[in-house]
Amino acid sequence: MQTINLTIDGKSVTAQSGQTILQIATDNGIAIPNLCYDPRLKSYGACGLCTVEVEGSSKLLRSCATLATDGMVIHTDSPRNRQSRKVALELLMSDHEGDCLGPCTLNCPAGTDCQGYLKQIALGNDYQAVKIIKDKLPLPASIGRICPHPCETACRRKLVEEPISIAHLKYFAADRVLASDNPYKPEVMPASGKKVAIVGGGPGGLTAAYFLGSKGHAVTIYDAMPRMGGMLRYGIPEYRLPKKILDAEITEIADLGVVMHNNVNVGKDISFMELKAENDAVLVAIGAWKSSKIGCPGEELQGVMGGIDFLREVALGERPTIGDNVAVVGGGNTAMDACRTAVRLGAKRVYIIYRRTQAESPADDIEIEEAKEEGVIFRFLTNPAEIIGENGKVKEINLQIMQLGEPDASGRRSPIPVEGKFETLPMDTVIAAIGQKINIDGFEDLQQNRWGNICADEKTFRTSLDSVFAVGDATNNGADIAITAIGEAHKAAGVIDTYLHGIEIPYKKPYVSEKEVTPEMFVDRQKQTRIKMPTRPAEERNKDFNEVNCGLIEEQARKEAARCLECGCHDYADCKLIDYANCYDLDVARLKGEKHPSFIEDSLVSIERDQGKCILCNLCVRVCDEVAEKSILGLVDKGFDTVIKAEFNNPATITYCKDCQKCAEACPTGALKVVSPKTLLRS
Amino acid sequence: MNDCKCKMNNDLSLIKDVLLEYGNTSSNTITILQKTQEIYGYLPVDVIYHIAARIGSTPAKVMGVATFYNQFNFQPVGKYLIMLCQGTACHVNGSQRIEKAICEELKIKDGETTPDGLFTIKNVACLGCCSLSPVMMIDGETYGYLTPEKTIKILNDFRKRGQKTCEL
Amino acid sequence: MRIVVGMGSCGIAAGAKDVYQAICAIKKTDDDFTVGVTGCIGMCFLEPIVDIYDDKKNLLHRMGNVRVKDVALIVQALRENNPDRLAPLCITPENADFLKKQTRIALQHCGVIDPTDINDYLASDGYQALQKVLKSMMPEEVIEEIKISGLAGRGGAGFPTWFKWDAARKAPSNTKYMICNADEGDPGAYMDRAVIEGDPHSLIEGMLIAAYAIGAQDAMVYVRAEYPLAIIVLEDAIKQALDKGFLGQNILGSGFSCNIRIKAGAGAFVCGEETAMLESLEGKRGMPRLKPPFPAEYGYNGKPSNINNVETFANIAWIINNGGKKFAALGTEGSKGTKVFALTGKIKRGGLVEVPMGMTLREIIFDIGGGIRKDKEFKAVQIGGPSGGCLPASLLDTTIDYKALNATGAIMGSGGMVVMDSSTCMVNMAKFFLDFTAKESCGKCTHCRLGTKRMLEILSRITEGKGKEGDIELLEELSYAIKDGSLCGLGQSAPNPVLTTLNYFRDEYEAHIVDKECPAKECTELLVYAILADKCTGCTLCARKCPTGAIHGEAKKLHTIDQDACIKCGQCVDLCRFAAISIEGGSRHADN
Repeated sequence: MQTINLTIDGKSVTAQSGQTILQIATDNGIAIPNLCYDPRLKSYGACGLCTVEVEGSSKLLRSCATLATDGMVIHTDSPRNRQSRKVALELLMSDHEGDCLGPCTLNCPAGTDCQGYLKQIALGNDYQAVKIIKDKLPLPASIGRICPHPCETACRRKLVEEPISIAHLKYFAADRVLASDNPYKPEVMPASGKKVAIVGGGPGGLTAAYFLGSKGHAVTIYDAMPRMGGMLRYGIPEYRLPKKILDAEITEIADLGVVMHNNVNVGKDISFMELKAENDAVLVAIGAWKSSKIGCPGEELQGVMGGIDFLREVALGERPTIGDNVAVVGGGNTAMDACRTAVRLGAKRVYIIYRRTQAESPADDIEIEEAKEEGVIFRFLTNPAEIIGENGKVKEINLQIMQLGEPDASGRRSPIPVEGKFETLPMDTVIAAIGQKINIDGFEDLQQNRWGNICADEKTFRTSLDSVFAVGDATNNGADIAITAIGEAHKAAGVIDTYLHGIEIPYKKPYVSEKEVTPEMFVDRQKQTRIKMPTRPAEERNKDFNEVNCGLIEEQARKEAARCLECGCHDYADCKLIDYANCYDLDVARLKGEKHPSFIEDSLVSIERDQGKCILCNLCVRVCDEVAEKSILGLVDKGFDTVIKAEFNNPATITYCKDCQKCAEACPTGALKVVSPKTLLRS
Repeated sequence: MNDCKCKMNNDLSLIKDVLLEYGNTSSNTITILQKTQEIYGYLPVDVIYHIAARIGSTPAKVMGVATFYNQFNFQPVGKYLIMLCQGTACHVNGSQRIEKAICEELKIKDGETTPDGLFTIKNVACLGCCSLSPVMMIDGETYGYLTPEKTIKILNDFRKRGQKTCEL
Repeated sequence: MRIVVGMGSCGIAAGAKDVYQAICAIKKTDDDFTVGVTGCIGMCFLEPIVDIYDDKKNLLHRMGNVRVKDVALIVQALRENNPDRLAPLCITPENADFLKKQTRIALQHCGVIDPTDINDYLASDGYQALQKVLKSMMPEEVIEEIKISGLAGRGGAGFPTWFKWDAARKAPSNTKYMICNADEGDPGAYMDRAVIEGDPHSLIEGMLIAAYAIGAQDAMVYVRAEYPLAIIVLEDAIKQALDKGFLGQNILGSGFSCNIRIKAGAGAFVCGEETAMLESLEGKRGMPRLKPPFPAEYGYNGKPSNINNVETFANIAWIINNGGKKFAALGTEGSKGTKVFALTGKIKRGGLVEVPMGMTLREIIFDIGGGIRKDKEFKAVQIGGPSGGCLPASLLDTTIDYKALNATGAIMGSGGMVVMDSSTCMVNMAKFFLDFTAKESCGKCTHCRLGTKRMLEILSRITEGKGKEGDIELLEELSYAIKDGSLCGLGQSAPNPVLTTLNYFRDEYEAHIVDKECPAKECTELLVYAILADKCTGCTLCARKCPTGAIHGEAKKLHTIDQDACIKCGQCVDLCRFAAISIEGGSRHADN
């Protein structure tokens, strides 16, 4: 042994001769990426990530296998190294057939870990489930009731029979934990001394308050309405979301130390610039509270009102006079809320006027079904041509009959009028539920886009003003569903937190691997029907505002959660491959080509192997050979066709796997997974 | 290996002498596999297990070696193994047309065996007869300056020969 | 007199065996001539070759393309002692020039002596060098002589031979190995096969001298499994050498002992890489090792080992006999001696040629090889196989020299030289090599295993007319990444065929990608078949035989091809008796 001196990335280090560059770098806190290195094993040098540049050598050297010599000058992160690693990772990812995350999570605007909490619910750990949910979404009991659940739309279980009832399970668990003696409360970090003002106490504002509050910042929410909750309170009817549930979840957020001021109209009661001056950061989450106009003659008549305006009045406890005949114009969820509310207010004939068909309707199917059950009359393919009044009040509505034309660029068939075909209905009230717009009053200092929405950077959520951020319906593309605002608020809270600590780190969408699936892959799965949420009978519920849903029975809920196919990778959190992949700006699409298909092999005692995720680092083979001394695993074939197989892949022949599971521990990706032992095979 | 056409319960005594001569060390693995293939025509799974046990290796290791080399077959091959050269010179001089002619004539693809068990076709790297390209080797004999017509004629000669020996 | 039939693998493939058997069959015991065999003389384009020697071993007649039907005439002429009758069979002076312009050292005995008889080798001063070395030279002196000769490894990389020997000699160990790399995997090179089949003892002698120099007592020859005849010839030669005491214990009473074993490869190109070969010799998957340690330190079974190529060994005895200086007098400043090339492809006179370093490609291809078949235009020459590159006409004056060739992007390699004319598509050629290296990659390094696969996919789509803008740049990016990220020579050089064709024939790539056209008219998917109005007689033959019914037309009227239905099988072209079907490289031309 001899002491040697070398320079790694400009740092002078001392080491012993006989050590590899990788060992020395690691000892000195310099991380060199690697996927096939294990200090217990002989150097292998396959992955191509650990290469370094050594001055005086024209080639890139594998640091895992190159012994350091005295005086070496080493660069571990030079452009040439980064380029080589980037291509290596792109190549590996181009042959990586697996899902990092389930389609549910990927399709959720807030990225909630559905697979994670479904598993906990299936196991009976509701507290754990809520903890996982609240990592992304602090209002699960509320959102679980009202979310149009893009997660379920994406749920792969639909290839077997039907998607998992994810949203209902979410509020099942959240309700139970909320009602328990031990409700979940996140850890709150010590006070940072920074002040944040949030304008708007809707789902976006509340979410940002939750995450910023738990980071130790002093958060104050200012809201113009009498109570917190925004559209969740004033746009969603009680029968869908009982306000005591919302209150309980808001209280939890207040308990983190978040100060909440209601009836404060920024721009009137306090100026926006004043707020900005008094705080280290301001988040604008004011929503979109103006109803869009129908755009037909007669809109100025008494008896014509906006959908959200109507819902807000009802939520505030008023009972507007709407008469016997009510037309709700629009096909979205606000239209459904409005028509079902109108039914509950005693209207005799409530119509939905929608210019397309049910298939094109953006409202949830269940909302349409329940509205129908409650007596709402659906007039698809009609569009208001004129609202006819008498003495300044609505008397009739004249409808243009429509038909569907050719699909447009988005694939949606656009409605076109059927020439000369009209229909007139007697009407007392016309509710326009066709869209929402922002009310910019008080925030004119912020730059707006051509639709009048506040411009917010997609990665930093920054507005045109320094220290002012914005999320939700008031920004960029305008109104969307609650979970979208929540997702933005969560990401913005992360950015604001870094901003408050001095270095603003923009949000970066993680790169993930996604698998291509076909229904044929699921033919072997046993079919299990999706749970149906029990509801109160239509003739009972359409007379009051009590909750329609009765809630899931525990046993059924656990069973439903267990239907999850667990698409996401068990190793996502620990996967070295995806970690590195996210450190380099990969463009995998350009290398799209043949992939090794994903399929599960279970030829070892308690290990399942997914061929699609194998990156041929050969660690499992080498560990089995050099550490476990069994040599059950081996490489088969060569070139691109090389795969790892456990002894001919024949379960019957595995008689001497000692179940040490060292192979799975060594695997840097999720290719090997420990499952319950298949003891029968050993005999 | 579930769709494997190879047979199990092979007569392991056939390679007794091979193992006696070479079985003392795993560094003879390739030689043993070559001799084994000469005897069985291919490498049956149970024989590989037997070899692994005898040379102090494991089946996974022996299989790893066997599958690395193009020479080894894991399915029974036809009576006549057509090794079609795909070297550079043969490529430049039209080996693809020869492959097409053989595949169309025998109705099999690279690596496959005719249902009558007479022919197997295998594309191989250079046979080292570049000046006579395109070439193929059947039964250790090399045939050069191939044209599709000439190739089919050679196949027909083998077919006749093969059928004759079957009748005997 | 003696009739000698060239019975190398290519001779046999051309029918030499039948000729030989025919001669033996009609030869009578009282005939005044003997019949013998020899290896490959290198004039493969003339195989089967039959030579007539007088009793003093002077070549009297050399006949080419001999058929069985010619045998009676030959035998008759000899019986009548009337060699003039052989004149029609004899090779032309032009063809004889093929040999005259060469300088033969490694191939000096090939096609001359009988490889199956050690006595023939001994009669040609065989094993003189070994005796000289064992009697009068110290190992260091042997290495010094090789150093003076400037001999560099002929397998591809061109590393100085003496340096490797010296390192192996100095490595401390009682057990050392001398290994011959006869795993000639470069598709398009076959000089090693010719040497083993035609002159096995020069290999054995070279190996023994090398073994003596480094102190090895065990030697191995790793021969490709695709060379069955070479294995048989070498096995027999080893036996004969043992019998004569040139091999085994206490060779020629010198106290030096050495044995040679044959290990047959099993078909894996990467095993030509020396550390992969070591793995294979040890009975493992032929996956290259990390270097260092180099084989001279840690080789076969962990012992110091030296690995040289067949052609390298075939030079050794000559150098010892004639002196390193004489060898070094041949060639250029940086590349000494001669090099054997396998001249193949669209060449008139294809075969093995051995030329002094420093000769130009033009001299080899045109002066020795006679130029392009059918006097077509020369387009490119591929040198160095899958690790080499394609050079255009503008580089024909490049000399055979390690440095000069490397500067072009090609490499000397093992000596494959495949000549191409205008009918060879350079993109397709690059694809051919990538297909080879992708299949033959051992699969260990990410860059090589997946990079060559992706490059192959990109090249495939280009040849299918599905190339995209940016594909060329992507190929270049991958090429450099693979070179940087691969452990062994296979991966490091695998992109060379793509890089050189991109460098010299970029317009051809662009034609495929942008114009969807294959200028060489080789890429089937891009071709457009059309019927020439002035030639079609309306005979209906093509329409009747077209497998997809893509050809329409009434009898005695002009026919047309439905391009959507055409599968570009080319049957109509072969069938048409009026040459009325044209093939265009792309639709751009067909539309005009």
